[in-house]
Amino acid sequence: MSSVSQKAIEQDPQQLHEDLHDIWGNPKGWKALTIVNHTTLGLRFMITGMVFFLIGGILAMLVRTQLAMPDQDFMSPDIYNQVTTMHGTVMMFLFAIPMLEGLAIYMIPKMIGARDLVCPRLTSLGYWCYLFGGIILTSSLILEMAPSSGWFMYTPLSSSEFSPDLGPDFWLLGITFVEISALSAGVEIVVSILRTRTQGMALHKMPLFAWYILAMALMIVVGFPPLILASVMLELERAVGMPFFEVAGGGDPILWQHLFWLFGHPEVYIIFLPAAGIISTLIPVFAGRPIVGYGWVVFAIIVTGFISFGLWVHHMFTVGIPQLAQAFFSAASMLVAVPTAIQVFVWLATLWLGKPKMKLPMLWVLGFLIIFVCGGLTGVMLALVPFNWQVHDTHFVVAHMHYVLVGGMFFPLIAGLYYWLPLFSGRMPSENLGRWGFWLTFLGFNGTFLIMHWTGLLGMPRRVYTYDTGMGWDIYNLLSSVSSFVMSAGIAMVLLDIALHFRFGKPAKQNPWNADTLEWANTMPPSAYNFVSLPKIETRHPLWDDPNLPVTMAEGKHSLAVATHGRREMWGTDPISGKVREIIHLPGNSWWPLFAAMALAVVCISLLVRVYALAGVFVLIAGVFLLRWSWENGAHPKAAPDANVSPGDPPLHSRTMDGPGVWAMGTFLIANGSFFLSYLFGWFYLWTVSPEWSMPDVSPLSLSGLVAAGLAITAGYMVMVKLIRGLRRQQDAGLASGFYLAGTLGAVQVALTTWVMLAADLAPTETTHDAVLLLGLIYALFHGGLAVVLTVMQALRVRYGYVGAHAPFEPAVVVQLWRYNAVVFWILVGSLAVLPRVIGG
Amino acid sequence: MSPLLERLRLTHPIHFVVGLTVWCIWFIAVYGGHAVACEVAAPATERGVFTLLNGWMLLLSIVTTALLAALTWWCWQAGQLHQGRARFNAVVSAGLYLFSALSVVFVALPIIGIPPCV
Repeated sequence: MSSVSQKAIEQDPQQLHEDLHDIWGNPKGWKALTIVNHTTLGLRFMITGMVFFLIGGILAMLVRTQLAMPDQDFMSPDIYNQVTTMHGTVMMFLFAIPMLEGLAIYMIPKMIGARDLVCPRLTSLGYWCYLFGGIILTSSLILEMAPSSGWFMYTPLSSSEFSPDLGPDFWLLGITFVEISALSAGVEIVVSILRTRTQGMALHKMPLFAWYILAMALMIVVGFPPLILASVMLELERAVGMPFFEVAGGGDPILWQHLFWLFGHPEVYIIFLPAAGIISTLIPVFAGRPIVGYGWVVFAIIVTGFISFGLWVHHMFTVGIPQLAQAFFSAASMLVAVPTAIQVFVWLATLWLGKPKMKLPMLWVLGFLIIFVCGGLTGVMLALVPFNWQVHDTHFVVAHMHYVLVGGMFFPLIAGLYYWLPLFSGRMPSENLGRWGFWLTFLGFNGTFLIMHWTGLLGMPRRVYTYDTGMGWDIYNLLSSVSSFVMSAGIAMVLLDIALHFRFGKPAKQNPWNADTLEWANTMPPSAYNFVSLPKIETRHPLWDDPNLPVTMAEGKHSLAVATHGRREMWGTDPISGKVREIIHLPGNSWWPLFAAMALAVVCISLLVRVYALAGVFVLIAGVFLLRWSWENGAHPKAAPDANVSPGDPPLHSRTMDGPGVWAMGTFLIANGSFFLSYLFGWFYLWTVSPEWSMPDVSPLSLSGLVAAGLAITAGYMVMVKLIRGLRRQQDAGLASGFYLAGTLGAVQVALTTWVMLAADLAPTETTHDAVLLLGLIYALFHGGLAVVLTVMQALRVRYGYVGAHAPFEPAVVVQLWRYNAVVFWILVGSLAVLPRVIGG
Repeated sequence: MSPLLERLRLTHPIHFVVGLTVWCIWFIAVYGGHAVACEVAAPATERGVFTLLNGWMLLLSIVTTALLAALTWWCWQAGQLHQGRARFNAVVSAGLYLFSALSVVFVALPIIGIPPCV
């Protein structure tokens, strides 16, 4: 079953544990802020997410209190709008996604047999950005300045004209800050799953939960940038008057809807997929048999990941889109039910063919199946255009959305929390208290939202703060409100159960549910390094096939049971076959992520209060922190100054040209590409559709200047490619001067682009055309400047001996940015300067 | 074999995403092309569905479906020649190509019944 390292057997397991603890262990006191370990940070994500969940839940109770009876004045209309907006925002952005990401951060390395995520400092940065962004956003409630334009922040309601207060700014800046966190986690989870699975864990042997999380992370990488772009554009419009969404200037408010829902609909599946991953993990365990149709589930996950990006317009059926286009999106919306139905049938078949045990987590699984299937069916109803028109903006949609999100995310999440509780704490939950919690939540939920379908069908619109008694909605609203408090009582009981179990729960035995996946080979609670030794995996069910595996792993009888080098190490494996390729060494605890996040928080607050000079200063400070962070890599004394490995082991990743950083940069560039494509979509959309769009007869951008800049960046890229080829042949003569040459060419591109921008004499606050041009040029300048800085830094690192033929890894990371910049720049030249000259406005 | 050619093998997991990527490109081309055509050169309403625009969209859909159907068959055949990981990859890819092909057909059906720009 698993490979056994003879040299490891001879070690004293207790001594090995202590040595590993010295390397991986968490510091106490103030230094706890430097922790980068995935177990600790995953828990921090989840605990913070639960705090935000409680805030969002209290807001929901305020809404139901206000709507319990007609003509109430419990809240003023403005406060009601703030409360509903913040309820949706907090639940979607500060609870659902970070909570599931926290679970993934905690669980994925343990499930795939790794010791940590692949970019631990990025995990830490992500957590701090989430925490600070969340605090900034929720502080608006205390200041009575909370956004009130709805959680989707539609323009023009959220534009300066109709929302002159700071509410939308809190939303736009806070959410963008939090999205840095989501993207950070997305990038590193993708790379971790693809490159750090334990030996032998080929793609088709990977736990299904990892498949789901891989899809979720990739969807975050592709799906979040459109909203980041939209938020940047709307904040620029509000702060400096660049009229992206104002019709009078040539903009279009519908563009906001497109960009928002390009993010917003995949977001639903970003939330659902990890939850479905929990279900696909739990059902086989409690049915006592492998899942029926592993391949079908993988198929369904991939289909969902793609099709969910083709549905966004079904949120916009009433904005005046041609019938044929509506029919395309109606059909695509129905299609997404197919992979979901496949999963439901797989789960039912697994239960049917197994011997299910109705333990506490399974109650929540059954609750999920009932509620989510109902939500899915109303989703198919809403995909039908005539029905959608009929119930648009009514409580029917609110009910559907909660059936999908609470049924599809919250119930599986609680199932998962109960399932993994013994792993978190080493103790079992209370079955009695847990069952009370489930039934109160289940009955309360259905009492609240099943009834809301009827109030919606009776015509009650959403987002109204009160209603007249003669509308016939009184009794339904009262029942919904009473039920919502029953649901709250259920959730309170669950939280009480979880809190009490840390003190009173029965101690759990090893692998208490008789599960098949590797996380249960950990100690309970887990150590900071997860596993003393890393096993070779040959099946999808390692613990069912070898129940003694946790013992042999803890005794150090498998691979990488070495601590004498003082490094944090784990396997880097082939993404397809799971064969070992290199040893990945990880950085230790660091202040830099916290410092960088604090600097970014100051940037966020400075932008909010419109002290732009301070924001500029702190952007630079954040940049310095991030660069200093990246300095401590590779052959740096704080990373891996020597390349010694045990005889027969593969090299350290920093001594190869295919380490995780290369993959992380590639994944980040996918996100960046999504941002850029969204920008291009905006440019062509406004050009084609915007009613008052105006374009000058001759493009203000100097084509010759842009072509010269393009040639400079292309030449710089060619220099970088030549240097990389040399490094592949172990030749590093002239490496530093080569980097300086590339950097100089990059600086020429930046200078020429700056000249083109200044010479164009743009009026970005007067026309949308000029505003879009300016945004594109700034994008190119930022990327060009970043490439120059990173390349010059590489030259310096060559001088220090951190980069060279002995450590060729980092240039392979930087060259990807050059390639991206060159391609994007030429596309920009073609789109902004050539096409307008060819086809005119 | 070079890494590029290796990825073209029908047992490579890159095929998990190729079919649905083709579907996405087709979807964007049809939706985007339709939107642009309706803005710049909308056909006369009285022509109903018998317009050049519907014809082009239908033709593109047929070609895309044919491509995806062929890839379905090739992947399925490749799956029958292998065992283990290679078979898993090829068979799942075949399923994904088939789904992509059927998705093109299903989403394209309205083209034969709905005038383009009303």
